[in-house]
Amino acid sequence: MDSDQIVEIIIAEIRETVPELAEQAIGRDDSMADLGVDSIERSEIILAAMEQLGLKIPMVQLHGPRNIGELADLLLAKSSG
Amino acid sequence: MNRPVGIEAMNVFGGMAYLDVRELCDHRGLDMPRFENLLMQEKTVALPYEDPVTFAVNAAKPVVDSLTAEERGRIEMVVTCTESGIDFGKSLSTYLHRYLDLPSNCRLFEIKQACYSGSAGLQMAVNFVLSQTSPGGKALVVTTDISRFALADANAVQEWAYSEPSSGAGAVAMLVSDTPHILQIDPGAYGNHAFEVMDTCRPGPDTEAGDADLSLMAYLDCCAGAYDDYARRVDGVDFRDTFSQLCFHTPFGGMVKGAHRHLMRKLYKAKPAEIAEDFETRLGPSLAYGKRVGNTAGGSVFVALAGTIDAIDLSEPQRIGLFSYGSGCCSEFFSGVVGPDGAERLKSMGISKALDDRYRLSIADYEKLLSGDAVVRFGTKDAELDHDIIPGAWPVAGKGDRLVLDTVAGYHRNYIWV
Repeated sequence: MDSDQIVEIIIAEIRETVPELAEQAIGRDDSMADLGVDSIERSEIILAAMEQLGLKIPMVQLHGPRNIGELADLLLAKSSG
Repeated sequence: MNRPVGIEAMNVFGGMAYLDVRELCDHRGLDMPRFENLLMQEKTVALPYEDPVTFAVNAAKPVVDSLTAEERGRIEMVVTCTESGIDFGKSLSTYLHRYLDLPSNCRLFEIKQACYSGSAGLQMAVNFVLSQTSPGGKALVVTTDISRFALADANAVQEWAYSEPSSGAGAVAMLVSDTPHILQIDPGAYGNHAFEVMDTCRPGPDTEAGDADLSLMAYLDCCAGAYDDYARRVDGVDFRDTFSQLCFHTPFGGMVKGAHRHLMRKLYKAKPAEIAEDFETRLGPSLAYGKRVGNTAGGSVFVALAGTIDAIDLSEPQRIGLFSYGSGCCSEFFSGVVGPDGAERLKSMGISKALDDRYRLSIADYEKLLSGDAVVRFGTKDAELDHDIIPGAWPVAGKGDRLVLDTVAGYHRNYIWV
């Protein structure tokens, strides 16, 4: 699993959670807030990604990333360590 | 051993004026494409002559008035639970003691832990009753919080963003004793989850700050953690079956929905349709009053409880699971049983009617209040309140049973009944 694969997982979860974004081009430099994903939806997306990665850590440890790529990097770091 | 303990009487006070939240969001140009998901409708706005004391006293007065002189004489502790204090030393409870005319052999103090304060106060009172150091003694626990968005310049408005529509005001009074007509607490059935985090705070007398994402994450961590701790203490508990209703701390309904979904997925890998149905059944009723007053901080979980009791069929006793969260952070999951008697007693308080009777502020009224000139700031030495600031909001046909702030003289707040 590398960061780009986690980006794909996150993007798939974004499209699942916010159907309005199904057709929208989304990349690792985008921030979920700028895409119009609200804070409740953001938490759902992060929880779903954690579930897929089998990651069991407090959510507050995933606070801080400014875009999808940074979130993927952090999820990767937490998964491997 | 299993001596009854819990809430004997209860009332919610949602203030004298409110604002339509959708109207506010439109006015602010907040882009909320899925506004309905947030489950917000109205928010109580404290008028300049309403402060944490008036909210608390107005909530507690009907509760205290319904007691006999002998019963009132057994109120031996007044715990005010708030993050909206008006003095670093003198507690709000002292003002409550005066305006509710309580006995002098009474413990008076105030406690703080953001929105968790009400549950902390309730548990202190419950343990006072369980300890039997004063058999038959009662404790009055009152949560009271107001949000003030004063000093409204463009930058401040920008910074408030989504906290402005969700922040409300309100007070909940609970008389705790060994005759728990409203809610019989399950003694020893509770779970805590706490850790240090800087999610939201009130760093200055009239300021609030915070990070909505971090706060939501801490809330979700706590909801799961507190329930796990409850399950560790209580044999055979099942989140889906044990509690016929649930009441969560409600910053806004959408957050409760998120926490419920998190638990249902974590505990049962439940599918969206089942989660949505369970939310409607077990948490829908709890939003009845919260969506009308906004986030009432320390009282929010009890505003939810009152909404549930008033909204559901209670011909049979029901076990209710309660989750309280306070930023910073501390949380608790606990439970109790409410029955037909409790439903009838709570209805006699007329909470819904009082909310209906509030004055609806126009955006112009609200902006006038926001300009802040009329607000009594923390540390004010002398002031005279303008009771005509919003003419329509003043209770011209009052029955002398509602407290408002009149003057401040040498830091001492003077209130009048209108």
